[in-house]
Amino acid sequence: MKVKSSYIPYFLILPAFAYLLFFVGYPLVQALYTAFTQNGQFSLATVRKTFADPYFWDALKYTIALAGVIVPTQVGLALILALAVNRAFKGKDFTIYALTIPLTISDVAAGLIWYSMLSPSGFLNKLLLNIGLIHQPIYFFGYQYRHMEFLAIVLAELWRATSIVFVIILAGLQMISHEYLEAAEVFGADYWTRLRKIVIPLLKPSIQSALIIRTLFAMQIFGIVWILAGRDIPILAGEGFYRLTELKEYDVASIYALVIAGLSILLGALYIKFMKAEYLEVRR
Amino acid sequence: MSRKVRLAGVLVLVLLGAIVSGCIGGQQTTTQTTQTTTEKVTVTWLSTQLNPPEERAFVQEQLVKEFKDQTGIDVNFVPISYTDLATRLEAEEKAGKVTIDLIADLHGGLDFFASKGWLEDLSGRKLEGRTFISTFEKYATINGKKVYIPWMSATYVMVVNKKAFDYLPAGLTKEDVMKGTEKWTYDALLEWAKNLKEATGQPQLGFPAGPKGLLHRFLHGYIYPSFTGYQAKNFDSPEAVEMWKYLRELWQYVNPASTTWDAMGEPLLRGEVMIAWDHTARIKNAIETNPDQFVVVPVPRGPKGRGFILVVAGLAIPKNAPHPDEAWKLIDYLTKPETQVKILENVGFFPTVQEATGAIPSGPLKILAEGVAAQSATPDAVVAMIPNLGEKGGQFTNAYRTAFERIVLKGEDPEAVVKELGPQVKQLFQEMGQEIP
Repeated sequence: MKVKSSYIPYFLILPAFAYLLFFVGYPLVQALYTAFTQNGQFSLATVRKTFADPYFWDALKYTIALAGVIVPTQVGLALILALAVNRAFKGKDFTIYALTIPLTISDVAAGLIWYSMLSPSGFLNKLLLNIGLIHQPIYFFGYQYRHMEFLAIVLAELWRATSIVFVIILAGLQMISHEYLEAAEVFGADYWTRLRKIVIPLLKPSIQSALIIRTLFAMQIFGIVWILAGRDIPILAGEGFYRLTELKEYDVASIYALVIAGLSILLGALYIKFMKAEYLEVRR
Repeated sequence: MSRKVRLAGVLVLVLLGAIVSGCIGGQQTTTQTTQTTTEKVTVTWLSTQLNPPEERAFVQEQLVKEFKDQTGIDVNFVPISYTDLATRLEAEEKAGKVTIDLIADLHGGLDFFASKGWLEDLSGRKLEGRTFISTFEKYATINGKKVYIPWMSATYVMVVNKKAFDYLPAGLTKEDVMKGTEKWTYDALLEWAKNLKEATGQPQLGFPAGPKGLLHRFLHGYIYPSFTGYQAKNFDSPEAVEMWKYLRELWQYVNPASTTWDAMGEPLLRGEVMIAWDHTARIKNAIETNPDQFVVVPVPRGPKGRGFILVVAGLAIPKNAPHPDEAWKLIDYLTKPETQVKILENVGFFPTVQEATGAIPSGPLKILAEGVAAQSATPDAVVAMIPNLGEKGGQFTNAYRTAFERIVLKGEDPEAVVKELGPQVKQLFQEMGQEIP
């Protein structure tokens, strides 16, 4: 069988397209239908019901707040770590491996690890008590200590997911040609100038991918929050899950899912629009 | 590429073929068995219980296999959800073409089926060599008819780390707590919890108040009946307001991380709490890991008695079942003391026959079984059954959790909150046409 070569790209993309249609498109349509109909009629009753629930606004607030704190910190940290590692020194490979270990751990497992470290009888409290810095254990968990729970989630998330940003940025760093930097050095540019004028602009595509990936994942944050804070800190994915499994409110759960999808699409579009990546080679 | 496409096509066809032939094969066996009843019978057993994969494996690989070896009767064990079972039974009874031989469901579901007249009266049939615990026997008889045979039970209890007995309040002894005497009250618990916090510097009482925890069962099945006499009827009564005030006071001595805990086994083992309330299945691992450290005790009593939930699963035969006699043989096998002990050992459900309690080997399970038995035997028991509200069950439990969050955690006025939520709770029962418990 001879296939016209211009059709080949379409054939190649067909499985992925079918996959997306079945596993993303179909549930999306189903969610839209469940959310906006009642007894087969178009209705906004579910939307009103969801928006009238204070948990929804808390969940929206906390999801955005967590993303707002976690994502920039992660990118900053990963950038510093990548710059530190991107030079020749003894034990470089080992350092990179060590930094990427958390990548292999699931979010629920990471949550449990941090829970046992931060609990009143956990490692951190024992350490602080033993060196005499505190006399009462610090409470990280419980409704009364939501600020501490927020902090615990941020710590655990930074520990768990900074490595993915680190890997992306390190890969970007290693693609930057030494010629640019050497040329800059010849003209007397110091480290900071080189960083600002050459490295960061050339890293923009990597930073952009890392930001998109991390922000979209932050909208779906679930396991770590569920383990460390339960519903003390409501988040969109967690509330959707709770509505679905505990209350069997499929319509409200669909609204939560759609809000997460909507936020992800919006944020992705904003990144692409406002963070035009500059490729030096292309701009001639 | 074309070869690959063809290969994929063939694979899909084979897969479809397997599914289709499997379906047809399944139907053929059922029609065959109805034709040749004398030769080989397959009992169709629908169960809302023991549905998780590992429990399902236990039923199929141990219970069903042993029953088949003993009697030669084959069993088709079909795990099913509460709503699916109700729909299927209703359809079959109305169509007059029943395929289900045996049903295993909770008391609430069986009670509902019996009220519709879909279950056979089992009064005439006898089981040898076993005495059913009288409470279960009583609940299984509805309107003079024996509609099911009690099979397994579960409940929620308190677990105490033995070290906590060193800090008992004045006037309360270890015996009082272990046996559940009149002195073991909610006020005594408050005193005890206070002592523990003062002595150890940390709150030592724990509840599973996380999103998947069962705190709502404590609220509607334990503390509400203990203070108001009912689960929902007096939801917004003055006694209920007193109860919420009590709970708010108690919460000062409850480990704040409780709102993140779904089960108490781990916090007990980690030593974060010394006294905890939870479902027996969820604390089983703590007792099995450290049987010397923990005891299981009855819950405290309140002004109206000792409220606790009894979860009873029963076995019933639908009217016009194709193989009622074979189904009865399966009931006989499943309620034998040996089988009941086996069920307790493997899946943690408690026996419903007295002979089985004596047959439990010593060790961790004995600790659990003794605590459960002590709780069931308390003279001031106010037994609560989990209401069967179908898909509205979530809304029922959510009302109690909401009240808890607003009154205890957020500090809202208890009277205003229960006045607001009370009518909603009662309406759920009215919508389902049930009496308010």
